[in-house]
Amino acid sequence: VRFRILSLAAVLAALGGCGGGGDSKSDEPPLPTITIGTKNFTEEYILGELYAQTLRKAGFRVVLKSDIGSSEIIDKALTAGSLDMYPEYTGVLLSEIAGDTRRPRTAREAYERAKRFEEKRGFTLLGATPFSDSNALAVLPRYAAKHKLKSIADLNAIPRLRMGALPEFQTRFEGSVGLDSVYGVKDLRFVPLQFPDRYPSLDKGKVDVLAVFTTEGQLSAGRYRVLDDPRNLFAFQNLAPVIRRDLARKYGKRLTGPLDSLSRRLTTDTMRRMNAAVDLKHEKPADVAARFLKTGTPG
Amino acid sequence: MALVGGLIALLLGAAFVLLVFAVSGQRDAGRLALRSQEAITAGTELEKTVISLENGLRGYVASGNERQLQPWNAGLKVYPGQVRKLEGLVSDVPSQQAQVQAIKEQIDDYVNLWATPLLGLARQRLRVAQSVIVTGTGRVRIDQLRESFDRLFSQEQSLAIKREHSAETTSSRAIAAGWAGLVLLLLLALAAWVYLRRSVVRPVLTVAEASRRLAEGDMSARVPPVRDDEIGDLARAFNSMADSLEASSEALAERSRELERSNRELEQFASVTSHDLQAPLATISMYAQLLEQRHAQELNGGQQLVEGINAATVKARTLIRDLLEYSRAGRGELLNEPVEMKDVASEALEMLAGPIDQSGGDVTVEALPVILGDARKLRQVFLNLISNALKFAEDIPVVRVSAEVQGNTAIFAVADNGIGMDPGQAERIFQPFHRLHGEDDYPGTGIGLAVCERIIEQHGGRIWAQSAPGEGSTFRFTLPVAGTRRSSIGSFDGGAGA
Repeated sequence: VRFRILSLAAVLAALGGCGGGGDSKSDEPPLPTITIGTKNFTEEYILGELYAQTLRKAGFRVVLKSDIGSSEIIDKALTAGSLDMYPEYTGVLLSEIAGDTRRPRTAREAYERAKRFEEKRGFTLLGATPFSDSNALAVLPRYAAKHKLKSIADLNAIPRLRMGALPEFQTRFEGSVGLDSVYGVKDLRFVPLQFPDRYPSLDKGKVDVLAVFTTEGQLSAGRYRVLDDPRNLFAFQNLAPVIRRDLARKYGKRLTGPLDSLSRRLTTDTMRRMNAAVDLKHEKPADVAARFLKTGTPG
Repeated sequence: MALVGGLIALLLGAAFVLLVFAVSGQRDAGRLALRSQEAITAGTELEKTVISLENGLRGYVASGNERQLQPWNAGLKVYPGQVRKLEGLVSDVPSQQAQVQAIKEQIDDYVNLWATPLLGLARQRLRVAQSVIVTGTGRVRIDQLRESFDRLFSQEQSLAIKREHSAETTSSRAIAAGWAGLVLLLLLALAAWVYLRRSVVRPVLTVAEASRRLAEGDMSARVPPVRDDEIGDLARAFNSMADSLEASSEALAERSRELERSNRELEQFASVTSHDLQAPLATISMYAQLLEQRHAQELNGGQQLVEGINAATVKARTLIRDLLEYSRAGRGELLNEPVEMKDVASEALEMLAGPIDQSGGDVTVEALPVILGDARKLRQVFLNLISNALKFAEDIPVVRVSAEVQGNTAIFAVADNGIGMDPGQAERIFQPFHRLHGEDDYPGTGIGLAVCERIIEQHGGRIWAQSAPGEGSTFRFTLPVAGTRRSSIGSFDGGAGA
């Protein structure tokens, strides 16, 4: 029996050797391991899986580090060299990382300015997605009716407004800071919420207003009323992978091609449905991403 | 036997090796159990370090005070070493190794992907960092780490229990092995004993028993020669010895039977002859007398011849009588009953009263024992011996009859003060019709002592004479003593005279 195992191993080794010989014919340097990080909410988890699986399929080895933290944290991890790449929103990148609070007039402008910023410090942006996952404020329809709410500006009239959001919202321009400076909403009681607790908190009346993202699956059912943003406080939030510039240059199309073509397919509807599959149908981000890459079905 | 010895040595060796393995196994298990405890201790230290990292970081982010970072800085320096130590302690269990690897990755992720970025953020924009820390990501990561540690510890704990248990098991196995070895040895010793007994002692005992039976005369005593070894050889040697012994004893018995038969025929012949000779002799004697009475005148000088016929006839009749007596002495049934020899001797003296009186001699009979035998025949012995003593006297005969008892045998003695004889003749005098002297000097046919010898030998005894010319003779014979109590009587010498 031992002899048979040995001979089987020998045959496998020989086969492996042949395969290796085939690979080495292309004379390309071995592909590096790319560490991808994601921020700490559903859409980012799905995006991390989408980009990671795409890169693996292209022959790269990928380490995916999900749920690292908000933009401020993940940017530090990126610049410290702990990550090679992560999916980021152009608006947040500009306002919270680049510290640029000038409101871009178009999505393209936001992307170009963000890319310039990253390239100045050794990174770059790959192609952006069609979808924009902007910040928005949502209320329950009956609360909107009660306070006659249509736009963010209407929140002025409500005293001691209970504002539910991810913790970083409190210090961001696209958050409490901008609400005050752009719309003059000052009388806020900020309630920091973990990502999964946000919609339940609004449903149970623990908060009056909830900071949401426009691609979230929950918003597609019509159960919530998204307030208008007439003064464009919440900027364009198209997504683009931030990646080390040297990697992008070294591996060129081989690396950026598959990622860019993936990004081009990510529309608002696609993203919302994939988010809904995870948040509402409780599927795994990896499974949702794999299904989309294989069949094109977002969920 | 060499095979059995080898087997015992082998089993002993096996038991010893088993013991050594069990003991070393127990020691290893104990060491492993200790290793589990060390792994838990090292893991706990690492966990403490991770918690102090988080505490230092939170303290700093909450206050902005650099001094609060002290535990963070200290922890950052020591944790890689602690991870390596823990890795070393679980290196023998793949599942625990994987768990430690997972913990290491979690700590690295915590440090590189959370804590260090947060610290950097806090140094630039403390308020932003403070808002970020509320997300609890750090706490979640630490909680996950704690869960990983708990899993590691509980697994290590159960591993320790398993190892302790296996230490106990190997320990009890060691003890069991020891006992089993001991019991095995005892059983082997028992088996060897039984084997030896069955295969060596018993056959030898059988041979010994057969030898005893053979010695007691059982010529059919044999040993079953069932085996092929030395014991079998012994049995076969014994059997062939017994065979030849039986054959020669049978031959001997046959020879003695033949001798007895020819002896008997001879005696019968003598008896018949002497008996049948008596009638013609009587007739010759009668016709001689008739001749003498009726034709005395016509005989003239023939008178002397007739007297010669008469004398020869008397002598022939005496010879024939003695011959008959001799042949009768060895035949017929021999009584075997207690006989008071004193009485037997007295009867003989009474019958010899005439000759004793004529000789004017003195016959003394001392105390005599009771023996087993035939009183009538023994009386004949006394008659013959005493009458011989009277006959071969030099002057006034003095005869002394005595006896002494040695064990189960009584030795009788009839001593006289007669003419005695050459010691060289002492044996021949027991032959029938053997005479030392001319018939004119001492009358008799020379059959008396032969008759005595026959009777004594019939009783299983022995008779012999001790003598020297001019110094008298002593005839001694042995007889079996009746009953054992008699044997306590040492000697009858010096007893009262008759």
